[in-house]
Amino acid sequence: MHISYVKIAAQHAPIKEVLLDAIGKVIDKGQFILGDEVAEFETRFAELCGVRYAVGLNSGTDALILALRALGIGPGDEVITAPNSFVASASCIALVGARPVFVDVNEDYNINPALIEDAITSHTRAIIPVHLTGRPADMDVILKIAQKRSLYVIEDCAQAVAAEYKGKRVGGFGIAGCFSLHPLKTLNACGDGGVLTTNDNALAERIKILRNAGLKSRDECISWSGHSRLDNIQAAILLVKLNYLDTWTEKRRANALFYQQQLADLQQLKMPQDASYERAVYHTFVIQADCRNELKSYLSECGIETAIHYPVPIHLDKAAEKLGYVTGSFPVTEWLAQRILSLPVYPELTAAELNYIVETIKKYYLGKV
Amino acid sequence: MKVNYSYLEQQFADIEPYMDDIRALVRSGDFTLGMALAEFEAKFANLLGLPYAIGVSSGTDALILSLKILGIGSGDEVITTPNTFVATVGAIAMAGARPVFVDNNEEYNIDVSKINSAITPRTKAIMPVHLAGCPADMPSIMKIARRNNLIVIEDAAQAILASIDGKSVGSWGETAGFSLHPLKNLNIWGDGGVIVTRSKELCEKLRLFRNHGMATRDEIAFWGHNCRLDTLQAVIANRLIKKVHSITDQRIANAKRYDESFADLQEYIQIPPRSANVKQVFHTYVIRVKNRDRLYAYLIEKGIDVKIHYPIPLHLQKAASGLGYKEGDFPVCEEDCRTTITLPVHQHLKPEDIGYVIDSVCGFYRQ
Repeated sequence: MHISYVKIAAQHAPIKEVLLDAIGKVIDKGQFILGDEVAEFETRFAELCGVRYAVGLNSGTDALILALRALGIGPGDEVITAPNSFVASASCIALVGARPVFVDVNEDYNINPALIEDAITSHTRAIIPVHLTGRPADMDVILKIAQKRSLYVIEDCAQAVAAEYKGKRVGGFGIAGCFSLHPLKTLNACGDGGVLTTNDNALAERIKILRNAGLKSRDECISWSGHSRLDNIQAAILLVKLNYLDTWTEKRRANALFYQQQLADLQQLKMPQDASYERAVYHTFVIQADCRNELKSYLSECGIETAIHYPVPIHLDKAAEKLGYVTGSFPVTEWLAQRILSLPVYPELTAAELNYIVETIKKYYLGKV
Repeated sequence: MKVNYSYLEQQFADIEPYMDDIRALVRSGDFTLGMALAEFEAKFANLLGLPYAIGVSSGTDALILSLKILGIGSGDEVITTPNTFVATVGAIAMAGARPVFVDNNEEYNIDVSKINSAITPRTKAIMPVHLAGCPADMPSIMKIARRNNLIVIEDAAQAILASIDGKSVGSWGETAGFSLHPLKNLNIWGDGGVIVTRSKELCEKLRLFRNHGMATRDEIAFWGHNCRLDTLQAVIANRLIKKVHSITDQRIANAKRYDESFADLQEYIQIPPRSANVKQVFHTYVIRVKNRDRLYAYLIEKGIDVKIHYPIPLHLQKAASGLGYKEGDFPVCEEDCRTTITLPVHQHLKPEDIGYVIDSVCGFYRQ
């Protein structure tokens, strides 16, 4: 049996004609830039997240960059985030000219709020908690610290569409929520895309201007900026997919639950477990495994593709050299980097495939004993 | 009669061939930096006779990435013209540098005789714009750049296939940025752009820079952006790039017909200079006219979708308020903003459409 880590084609197979129809309609109208579909998607996405505004952008990375720029964060400022994330969580900070400051994580892979205050300096302007793997960071504590120290909170929701924390969806806790619509995300375009959510009318308006070269009207430029618009054609695709998102997310959660139940007895593994107050959406299902590399090779030999998110913590990337961190700076992150393994969790996995993965993992560890 | 400025409805009246390609792509799921993108980049480079092309998410990003990768940023000055689309200057500002304006000439492009006096010790680059599809005076600009040790980045957003003495725009500077926006001569179904360069080293850095600085899936060489040309858009571009020569030829033919018809209205209409050795590709057809605002209203009323590129010079935009310019600083540009009008020139105009535009313009002045 061969099980790929991702399988976008399987997601598209049953809805291909609907998707192509949606694309065709955009072509017929010839409305490719900021058309009706983008506006409709923004309305529906805002509803989905329980926020007042959503603004469609070119990528999740751009959502973070534009949020920082719109809030006036730049050279001389510091922004706190976690070192075990996709690089964009930190590069967005560097790209606006500010300094990324890392804070170690908990075993839930999210920023450890207890360590945040120590990282705050007089230059700190914002915290970017990442809802990694589709599990919400501990927002109550983070928001309390931010309030006390007058910092902005920008949520990196790239992996967490529709994830819930204490009954409320991510994207509305901070001043802005930044989502990715990349092809491998749970809500995915057929190309790059992103969206910024906020309850702040002025921020939403500002982002709309910044994504469109700073133009307030066709001819009036109030602020130099670049372009970062969600393509109308991608919005049309996303509108179709929004109809399936709940089903897909439930299937991901069911797959996660299956792993959690079936692999519970293996002492060599540690499964992610949702806290009672959260609803994780499992963009990735990341376990901690003894002998991770050997397990990964064994699974690969058995036809099961897995991934590591992420093998090199951001503070140890070449890009981060100048920030002055070293091995040992963030022990939990570094320890996790040796142990984490992402199992396939996409909705299209069949029962037979899930069983095979579980049995193969069991066979590996039980065979070793 | 109605003469539209946009032509997308006609251009994509038969979308089946495109949809076949998209169907295959959706089946493959190859959406990010996929095979169709590599194919397009090779074709685009080949079209311009250059070794390297890098697909990015917009023409603006093409300029931003070019500036940043060449080390231009905070404290640096970049010379350009105030008579351009805002993105030229937006890109300079996004890189953290300061835009310095030089007035334009009667071709709407940077006046090379005025560049020298704008150069300061902080000047790092010149960004000439090939506005309306007319190449800026690149031989002179390159001379000035060499003499002053400046980098040249061409804003070729509107000028694919334009050339001087057969040498294509995009092949003069260190890099050049092209736009594939839906209304460009080579267009796609959304935002997109291309950077071209002769430097292998720059090309390699730019390929990382557009993709988070990722040397491999897990190795981040430097902080990078996410601004990749969508593979889906590359699929469209691969079909359209086959047509770009015929699209360009048709636009040139349309412009020529306008030129000839307006030749004896010199009292009212000033056509920018045309030279035999310069190939203009007419992304837009822009002329200076008497009583511009009245002509504009008249043509709109006649059902002709005319435009103004651009009504407000960039140095007088609110965004420029920190740069210290004022009205009168760039008289040619300011006059252009008051007197130019853009007539539809796209490849889907029928001969009778053009005839109607010509008759309407002539009719207005004969009144």
